[in-house]
Amino acid sequence: MLSVVENRPGNRAEIVHELRRLMAWGGVAEAHALPFGLPALDAHLPQGGLTCGALHEATPEAPSDLPAAFGFIVAIAATMLARMPPDAPVLFVTAPGALIGRPYGHGLNRFGLDPGRVILVEAADDRQALWAMEEALRSAAPAAVAGAVGKLDFRASQRLHFAALESARPLLLLRPPGMPSVAVTRWRIAAARASPDRFGLIAGSCWRVTLERCRNGRPGQWLVEFDHASHRFSLAAALADPAFSRAGSRKRGSENFSRGRKPRWRGDRARAG
Amino acid sequence: MTGHEPVDPDQPLVLIVDAAGGPRIAALNEAAEAAGLAIQDLLADARAKAASLQAHRADPAADDAALRRLALWATRYTPTVSPWGEADGADGFFLDVTGAAHLFGGEERLLADLAARLDRFGLPARLAIAETAGAAWALARFHPAAPVILPAGAEAQALAPLPVAALRLAPDTRTTLRRLGFKQVGALLDKPRAPFAARFAAELLRRLDQALGRAAEPLVPIVAPPVYHSLRYLIEPIVTQAAVVAVATRLMKDLVHALVRDGAGARALRLSLYRVDGEIALIDIGLTLPTRSAEHVARLIDLKLERIAEIVEFGFGFEALGLAITTAERMEPMQTDAAAAGEAAHPERCAALIDNLRQRLGPRRVRQLKPVASHIPERAETACAAANEAWIDQTWPAPGESRPRPLLFLPQAEPADVIAEVPEGPPQRFRWRGEIHGVVHAQGPERIAGEWWRSRALQPTRDYYLIEDAVGHRFWLYREGLYGRETSAARWFVHGLFT
Repeated sequence: MLSVVENRPGNRAEIVHELRRLMAWGGVAEAHALPFGLPALDAHLPQGGLTCGALHEATPEAPSDLPAAFGFIVAIAATMLARMPPDAPVLFVTAPGALIGRPYGHGLNRFGLDPGRVILVEAADDRQALWAMEEALRSAAPAAVAGAVGKLDFRASQRLHFAALESARPLLLLRPPGMPSVAVTRWRIAAARASPDRFGLIAGSCWRVTLERCRNGRPGQWLVEFDHASHRFSLAAALADPAFSRAGSRKRGSENFSRGRKPRWRGDRARAG
Repeated sequence: MTGHEPVDPDQPLVLIVDAAGGPRIAALNEAAEAAGLAIQDLLADARAKAASLQAHRADPAADDAALRRLALWATRYTPTVSPWGEADGADGFFLDVTGAAHLFGGEERLLADLAARLDRFGLPARLAIAETAGAAWALARFHPAAPVILPAGAEAQALAPLPVAALRLAPDTRTTLRRLGFKQVGALLDKPRAPFAARFAAELLRRLDQALGRAAEPLVPIVAPPVYHSLRYLIEPIVTQAAVVAVATRLMKDLVHALVRDGAGARALRLSLYRVDGEIALIDIGLTLPTRSAEHVARLIDLKLERIAEIVEFGFGFEALGLAITTAERMEPMQTDAAAAGEAAHPERCAALIDNLRQRLGPRRVRQLKPVASHIPERAETACAAANEAWIDQTWPAPGESRPRPLLFLPQAEPADVIAEVPEGPPQRFRWRGEIHGVVHAQGPERIAGEWWRSRALQPTRDYYLIEDAVGHRFWLYREGLYGRETSAARWFVHGLFT
C-alpha cells in the first residue's frame, strides 16, 4: 500500500483519507496524533504526528548519547502533556542501570514538564519496569507513560504496544539498540551541538534525530532543536531546507552533516517499516 | 527460654533469673512443683531437692514476644485482645468476647474451642469468662475448677473465697494485708472503705472495684480496634494465593454495606491470615483515596501477596481470614451504576494506579519530586512517596526564570580529572568515566556557596559550569573550593548531564 501512495503523489492525500476511512470502518478507531509542529518531520509520520495509542522507541546512537535520547523523550512528553487535561500525570518508569543518574525535577521543569505531574517509578529490575508500564497503560490514568529499560524482548514489546493501543495513551520507551520490537516508530538519537542564542548562551537542546523505522511512514533524519523557553521543537537552521530532511542518510552523520554541508546521497529510499 | 537443647516437659524444669545470693527460680513446671520447688527458691537449693533438674535462663523479651504472638492469634475470636502487662503477671491476655460469643454458639462453645486449640499448641491454659476483667483474671488464676463461666452479678460471691492475691495487687500491698490478717478477698468485701482508703494506696480499692464491676477497666488492645471488621472461618484450610484473594474479596463485600451506610470509604486495611498452627500473618494495605470497591482491594491484596510471597508462609494453610478497616474516611456518595457503566473519574483512576504500583513494587519505589528551598542542587528537591494530592500545591520556580539545570542528576557527584586555568578559569579538557572530552563551549560559572547555617563543618563553595564537548554532549561540572581561600588544589566533579 505504501508503494501505491508513494508512486502517485498527486493522489496521496485522497488515498490516505480513503485508507483511514476504511480502517475506521473496520473497527479500528482513528487514534489522534500529536504533531511535532515541524511540517518537514510530521509529513513522514502516518498521521502527521506521533500516534497516541502506540509504542514509540528511542535508542541512543552510542552509549554516551543516552542523556540525549532521554532528553528527546522528555521533550516529547512535555509537549504532549501541554495538550492533555491538567490533572493527568505522566509516569516515568526506570529500570536500574537504564539511565545515568536520575531525572532531576528542576531540569524537567526547565524542559517545560511540570515536575509535580511526574510520578517516578524506580523498578527493581526490567521485569518490574515492564509490569509497571503495562499496569499504568491499562489503568489509562496517566496522560503518557515513559520508560527506560535495559532489555526488552519482542513479546514484551507486543504486550506493551497492545496495552498502549487499548488505552489510547502513548508509551515512550528508551532502550538500547539492537532488539526487535513492534514499535510504531523507532528513533535513533545522537547528541548534536546546540546553537547558542543571541547572548551566546546555550538555551536549548539539539539532537540529530533519525527516524529509523516508522510503520506506514517514511524514515528520515533531521537536526532537531528544542527551545527551553518556548518548549517548541524546531529544525536547526542548517537543515531547515526540505531537500535535506527528505533524505534518509542511515550513516551516523559525520561532522559535516551537522554543520550543514550537503550530505552524501546514499541509496535514497530507506526501508520502510 | 534461651537454650536450644530440647527439654523434657515431664521432668522438673525451671527458669532462673540472677538475683541477690545467686540465681533464683522465676518460673517452674508442674513436675518441679511436685518436687517441692517454689518461685524465688535459690537454684542451688533446688538442685539439691530435685535430681535431674533442667534449668534455663529466663528470657523476658522472648516471653513477651511469644505472648504477643499468641494474643495476635487470639484476634481470631474477637478484635479486642489485650495481653497482660507487668502488673497482671504478663502471662496471659484478656479477650473482650462481648458480642462475639454467639459466633461460636455461646460462651461454653467458645471456651471449649479456645481450650482445645491452645491444648493442641501444647499450652495448658486456664480460662474463665466473667463480666469484669478483674473477676476473670482472679477466676482463671485461682478458681479450682477452671474453666469457669461466671454469671453476671455473682462476682462478689465468687471472689470471696479466693486469696487476696486474686485482686492483682502489688507485692507490698499483699504483704501488708497478710500481716493484718486479711487472707481472703471475702474479708475485704464487707469492711468499711474509709480505713482502707486511709491505710493503703488507692490501688487496693481500685482493684476491688474493678473486679466487682464498680469501676471501669478499659482494655488496651494489642492491635488498634478496627472501625470495621469482618472475619470468616473456613471449613478447609486454604493454601493458595488465589483462594486468599477470593476470600478477602468476600470479606470486603461484607463490609461494603456498612461503609455505604456510614458514607465512608477505607483508607487503610489489614488482612489477618490465621494459619492452622497458630501463626498469624498480617498484611497492611494503604490506599491513596478512600475506596469501597471490593475488586480494587482484592487487586491490592493480590499484588501485595505477590511482592511478599517469600515472607508469607502458607504452611498447612490458613483456617480463618479477617479483614479490618483500620482507617475509614468520609467518602462522598456516588452513583455506583454510572461509575460501573462508564469510566471511573480521573483522580480515582490515578489513585488506584498509585495504590497498585505501591503494593506491588513497595512504597519507596513510587515517588514524586518536591521542590525544597535550597541552592545546593542535591538538596533542592526531595523524592517523596507519591500521593494523589501532591501535584496540586507545589511551587516550582517558573521554567523561564531558573538557571540551567541538568535533566539527569548524579546524586553522588562523580570526580573528574580536569585541565582548567588556575585559579578560576573554565575547564579546557576533562576526563570522566574513562573518556576524555575536549571542551568547546563553557557557560558559567554559577557560584553556589555552602549553607553555613546548616552545619559547622566547612562546605566549600562550588562553581558550576555548563560544558559542551565537540560532539554535543553537555555536562554539568563544578569546581569545589575557592583557590587561595578554601583550598589550594580544587577538585572537579560531574554533577549532572544535559541533553
